[in-house]
Amino acid sequence: MTAAAIDARGLGKDFGAIRALGRLDLEVREGEFFGLLGPNGAGKTTTVHLLATLLAPSRGAALVAGHDVVREGLAVRRSIGLVFQDTTLDRDLTIAENLRFAARLWSLPERVARPRIDALLRQFELLERRDDPVRTLSGGLRRAVDIARGILHQPRILFLDEPTAGLDPRVRRSLWERIRALRAASGLTVLLTTHYVEEAEPCDRVAVLDRGELAALGTPAELKRTAGVDSLEEVFLAHTGRRMADPDGG
Amino acid sequence: MRAVYGIVAREFVRFSRQRGRVLASIGRPFVWLVFAGAGFAAVFAGRNQIDYRVYMAPGLLGMVVMFGSLLAALSTVTDREAGVLRMVLVAPIRRSTIAFGKTLGATLLGTAQALVVAGLLLPVVHLRPTLAGALLGLIAVILSGLAMGALGLVLAASIRSIENFAGVMNFVIFPMLFLSGALYPVRHLGVVLRAVAYANPLAYGVDLLKHALLGAWVEAGYGGELPVPLDCAALAVFAIVGLALAASLLGREGGVTRTALRERP
Repeated sequence: MTAAAIDARGLGKDFGAIRALGRLDLEVREGEFFGLLGPNGAGKTTTVHLLATLLAPSRGAALVAGHDVVREGLAVRRSIGLVFQDTTLDRDLTIAENLRFAARLWSLPERVARPRIDALLRQFELLERRDDPVRTLSGGLRRAVDIARGILHQPRILFLDEPTAGLDPRVRRSLWERIRALRAASGLTVLLTTHYVEEAEPCDRVAVLDRGELAALGTPAELKRTAGVDSLEEVFLAHTGRRMADPDGG
Repeated sequence: MRAVYGIVAREFVRFSRQRGRVLASIGRPFVWLVFAGAGFAAVFAGRNQIDYRVYMAPGLLGMVVMFGSLLAALSTVTDREAGVLRMVLVAPIRRSTIAFGKTLGATLLGTAQALVVAGLLLPVVHLRPTLAGALLGLIAVILSGLAMGALGLVLAASIRSIENFAGVMNFVIFPMLFLSGALYPVRHLGVVLRAVAYANPLAYGVDLLKHALLGAWVEAGYGGELPVPLDCAALAVFAIVGLALAASLLGREGGVTRTALRERP
């Protein structure tokens, strides 16, 4: 259990002349709740997409669940769940149909998928809406379905890319409770990206990312202590000279 | 492959919910039969040993497959816009599996539409294929669907917006239809157009359908023009090359990284 869930060495990505991510060294431990904190454009989503094998790195390497992201894409994708910033649900299908579609994509046998989908729907309080088309759901419910979809195949590592962007505070709170419960129940490793500083507070460790570079790394308490400040907001300020920007951007 | 089944099943569920698309796909060939058929039949009347509407039948079936399978690729474009494609790309399946699933979905959709239309159209024009003809026709429809589905996927994977896709499709569909032999024999065309026609997968599909359905008119010069194995091989080549190309295009990074790019201030 001491193996790293994620081990990135000098990982970087350029989009043409734009350097989205410089050279990131990052180790996330098995079972850890890890926060990637930074303003828009810091390279958070790029990092997640590199680790999820959706992008090819321009330099460096990374192991995810012990598999190389360049050479063992399938094995990496088998071990991870990814909840994207924007919903990936098919709006014309019902909740249940979306989950069934995902179960097939992940090659879950029907007899495994069916009870699991039922359990997730119950857990996420979606049972009454299961046959409603996704287009009729509120943003909060859609997010819940997205997350249910992300953990349906019981990944070892779950990436949550700005999962609460655009949600109201009440819905946000209930999502965090769900994720806390999931972690408690399964020992899931979670890598969260966010620009909401308060969402990073409960993380075991936080990396502050700024303009594609790692600006700080540690537990929230350590970060505050070394920076000599009281909040992660100020930690960020101390490291980057800027405030966390634009609360609802993507 | 469960993933392929999932992709195909979803295409069918989506199609069945789009009633307009279902009706259009079945109605379209009859519109052509009535309007184009009436006009051309009058022009050809008396000089020909075949009723023009009978001559059109294989072409109309080819057209159903073309529309059915080519337009099925639209779902890949909407998947990209809606974000569904990301879910598919992050699943532990190969890009080639995705391309195959999408193409197979398009093929089966096109085939199902062609079978329904054949059931309605052939009695209307009094065409009764032999058993061998019907089997060859089914093969023709499936192979054409594969080639068209793969071609549609190549277009969908390289085109980013629905508006653009619609424009390109119109540009592709009509030359393809007119140079397919669906409305008049390819052999009457000039050298240049004939060369273009033989670069058109639908031409081989329609030719195969003529072999299947117009066997009685071979002597009169209205049957298939190319050898059956050549038609089959050409369609298979189009399908395989299209699949390979679509798989590599789908794997291209642009499909999933729009947000990553947008994220930069």
